[in-house]
Amino acid sequence: MTTSTRRLTLHLVSIVIGALIVVPVLFGVLGGFKDNGQLATNPLGLPDPWVTGNYTGILGDGVFWRQLANSTLIAVATALVVVGASAMAAFVFARFAFRGREALFTLFAAGLMFPFAVAILPLFVLLRTMGLLDNPLGVILPQAAFGLPVTIIILRQFFRTIPAEVEEAATLDGCNPAGFFWRILLPMARPALATVSVLAVVTSWNNFMLPLVVFTDQNWWTLPVGVQAFQGQYSDDTARVLAYVVISMVPALGFYAVAERQLVGGLAGGVKG
Amino acid sequence: MTAHLSRRSLLGLAGLGAGAVLLGACGDDDGGGSAAPDGPQTINWWHIQNTEPMLPVWAAMAKEYETAHTNVKIAIQPLENEAFKTKLTTATQAGSPPDLFQSWGGGVLRQQVDAGLVKDITDDVQPWVGTLLPAAMQPYTIDGRIYGVPFDIGMVGFWYNKDLFEKAGVTAAPTTWAQLLEAVGKIKGAGTVPIALAGKEKWPGHYYWAYLAMRIGGLEALQRAAGDKNFDTPDFIAAGERLKELVDLQPFQKGFLGAEYGSPDGQAATMGNGGAAMELMGQWAPAVQGSSSTSKKGIGDKLGFFTFPTVDGGKGSAGDAFGGGNGFAVGRKAPPATLDLLKTLLDVDHQRRSAATGGVLPTAKDAADSIKDATSKVVASTLASATGFQLYLDQAYPPAVGQQVNDSVAELIAGAKKADQVVKDITTVAKSQ
Amino acid sequence: MLTTTPPVAAVPAVPRPRGRRARLRRGRLATVAVFLAPALALFLLLVVAPILVAGYASAYKWNGFGLPENFVGLDNFTRAFGDPTFRGDLWRALVLIGLSLVVQLPVALALAMLLNQPLKGRGVYRLIFFAPYVLSEVTTAVLFTLVFSPNRGLGDGLARWLGADAGTIFADPDTVLFALFLVISWKYFGFHMVLYLAGRQNIPRELSEAAITDGASAWQAFRHITLPLLGPTIRVSVFLSVIGTVQLFDMVWVLTGGGPIHASETMAVTMYQYGFRRFEVGYASAISIIMFVLSFAFALFYQRVVMRRDTEGAITTRGVQR
Repeated sequence: MTTSTRRLTLHLVSIVIGALIVVPVLFGVLGGFKDNGQLATNPLGLPDPWVTGNYTGILGDGVFWRQLANSTLIAVATALVVVGASAMAAFVFARFAFRGREALFTLFAAGLMFPFAVAILPLFVLLRTMGLLDNPLGVILPQAAFGLPVTIIILRQFFRTIPAEVEEAATLDGCNPAGFFWRILLPMARPALATVSVLAVVTSWNNFMLPLVVFTDQNWWTLPVGVQAFQGQYSDDTARVLAYVVISMVPALGFYAVAERQLVGGLAGGVKG
Repeated sequence: MTAHLSRRSLLGLAGLGAGAVLLGACGDDDGGGSAAPDGPQTINWWHIQNTEPMLPVWAAMAKEYETAHTNVKIAIQPLENEAFKTKLTTATQAGSPPDLFQSWGGGVLRQQVDAGLVKDITDDVQPWVGTLLPAAMQPYTIDGRIYGVPFDIGMVGFWYNKDLFEKAGVTAAPTTWAQLLEAVGKIKGAGTVPIALAGKEKWPGHYYWAYLAMRIGGLEALQRAAGDKNFDTPDFIAAGERLKELVDLQPFQKGFLGAEYGSPDGQAATMGNGGAAMELMGQWAPAVQGSSSTSKKGIGDKLGFFTFPTVDGGKGSAGDAFGGGNGFAVGRKAPPATLDLLKTLLDVDHQRRSAATGGVLPTAKDAADSIKDATSKVVASTLASATGFQLYLDQAYPPAVGQQVNDSVAELIAGAKKADQVVKDITTVAKSQ
Repeated sequence: MLTTTPPVAAVPAVPRPRGRRARLRRGRLATVAVFLAPALALFLLLVVAPILVAGYASAYKWNGFGLPENFVGLDNFTRAFGDPTFRGDLWRALVLIGLSLVVQLPVALALAMLLNQPLKGRGVYRLIFFAPYVLSEVTTAVLFTLVFSPNRGLGDGLARWLGADAGTIFADPDTVLFALFLVISWKYFGFHMVLYLAGRQNIPRELSEAAITDGASAWQAFRHITLPLLGPTIRVSVFLSVIGTVQLFDMVWVLTGGGPIHASETMAVTMYQYGFRRFEVGYASAISIIMFVLSFAFALFYQRVVMRRDTEGAITTRGVQR
């Protein structure tokens, strides 16, 4: 096979797969331009007429923007807390030797294996006792806590790959461990940090149950919780739900697109066995 | 400085945390609203009418109450049905119920009562509870005491498309089960889907089994089963077998096992777009048919209503109604104004306003004249003259039993289990409660 | 002369080190403690404590109200293993894992190899393929409910065009699990593909190129050089896939609710049903403990046996497929 035929085949395959990915999303986007009646009778075709009311209604509603702001605030704060705490923990796991290190690390890793829904009742009681209901910290802290396992695991692997010579050189220059951590290790670990930040932001962005249970004051509702406004007791306003869901996707996808280059680099840096 | 964190201290810390959590679960034990009746208070009100038409109505009523009573603030939280169930479960299990919240009565309310989370309002509502339909109060009365008040009550019956019935040669609405099966056969022969069913949601299916049990065994059978925790009786088995007869005719729409109720291609939409001849559904059926349909109006005046047919040789009466409604329960820590708010929401004027929206069938007897829609009027008058009333089984029984009823009937309809097996499954769950 | 022996050798084996070394050691341990403190505090309070409570509750028959009072020991566990629905959940988990290993991961691997070639727009393709991972599971489920809706969906239209009948793919107990697998693959294959791409980029090109110059075919070069070197990546990907499949909840709940008649139910869905709808919190806790133990046992086994060569004996994973 000549190189150009090869290229063509590759393009073709990629386009087909890309289409399979994009079409359902496109379906959703177009669905937002229809009303429920059209969705029933004309689900596959272009909207006729184009109903812009769903999208404009949501974008013009102050409630949506407040929910967007809440989601953003909570996602960013969660990422900061989890990456900060994890980097510190991963640092000592990767570069210090102490008794009980592996057992402790396994404890963190075990947190991956527990379904969140069961933790919700004890968590709720705890948050109430601490007075964190209707408080964004009541969502940020548990999300960060449940994100610790993944983040620590990824960061530890990455921190391990920093050669010992770099650390020795820093120590010789009079740097204490904290200084090494802050001034040398973290800047070197940018790809990995970007990776775990994206994961933290995405997970927080999509979390529904925790904000639902913690926030009774609707001013604090995040985007996933806000979609309920379009779902009634007996029927969903599916067209509006679609529009809402599509709009909510955009910031998450945008953030990912920006961080994507870092993401692959970060994964590459850490996958070395 | 310890060289490492010993396993023991780790577990100790964790144990402390767990202990704190469990102690916290005891909850604060101050019962009753500690605020003075005329002092400043906030009422936390959770309801599930989070869409038109009732959403703005409740909001307006709350605002009016606040204006009339300047010491009271009302914090309204409208929630979608499923989200409400999740959030209320967590809140009540943690011992912090809201002050005024949606309740369907029955088994779930009983559990909340047993846990001491709901206020006994029997004495508070005594002066005005007589203005409400007695049948409606039943689900909210536990062991003779009242724990909630309904604002909406209805019943389940067959909603049918008059045109499609005519087209198939079915001239009169069926009054017996045999006639119903015959009608189904005729409609199917005419090339129309006889019945629309939302198989994915399970609760619409259980209506058939519940009604059959009521018609065959009478209301007493259902109540006795709940008391004895035994459903393995000939009446219930017969109900399952009758249902099987219907299912064997394959009367449902294509893909019904995956169909939802209110989605653009679900049960209500199928009816609203004239895709099926009938559905067994509650009083909200015309509204949801309309909103889910392409024309936004459903099938208009082609829609008719007939009550569930009788079964030959059955002990039940044709006038027994199966249904439910919506109401409010009062949390144990609710401030005193909550009861006054409840009274206000349920008075005739407010009920008239609610009824006028078409989203609610009022429980206040004198508000019935505000019902605008013709078929809703039929439902209301049928209900008013009902000889007996049974709440939806998945609400009336303890939650685990209710869910099992839904699951088991779904299995029966899908052909996965037989009628006698189904009652055994339900009995097992009932006995384990 | 013995005086040439360094003084250090003469220091007796006393446990309490002195001098600069001691200060250094204590300083290091203090650093360890300080650096670990935030993560440990958060984790113990907000993750471990709830898990312990769930473990405690699993030994009781409890409806969630008040405190657990009805101690039943291991009854909840025996009940779970005797319940046909739960046993079905275990079986379905195995099926889904099997399908992932046999279908999803190889496809992701193949695509990663394809995309590794110099190709214009490669970056765009990577962006698109990974995007579904960023969407919430609920969003995915909403989209696919439409795609597969009977009589009206995209899937049905496509199938009818092909002459088949796909309208009922979610309504038929026999096909619903595979439909679910399709949606899972749509969402997660991009993640695994990126993982393999990253791993592939760590393998020097020269290795396979040298083999080809020596007369090996492209396939042989891949099979004998690239694939083994991709081993660690593949093992990580498999690990994540298994753990993620066991935890599957949001998507299933919204897409099928576990139905029809439990044909697509997972352990997490059963747990949610019993905990939040049937108010049998003790039983639901037991199910969650079983899920936890199974995952953990798998992780330990996997780490000891499969990944021994890759690591120094600690669980090494990459992101989480939730």
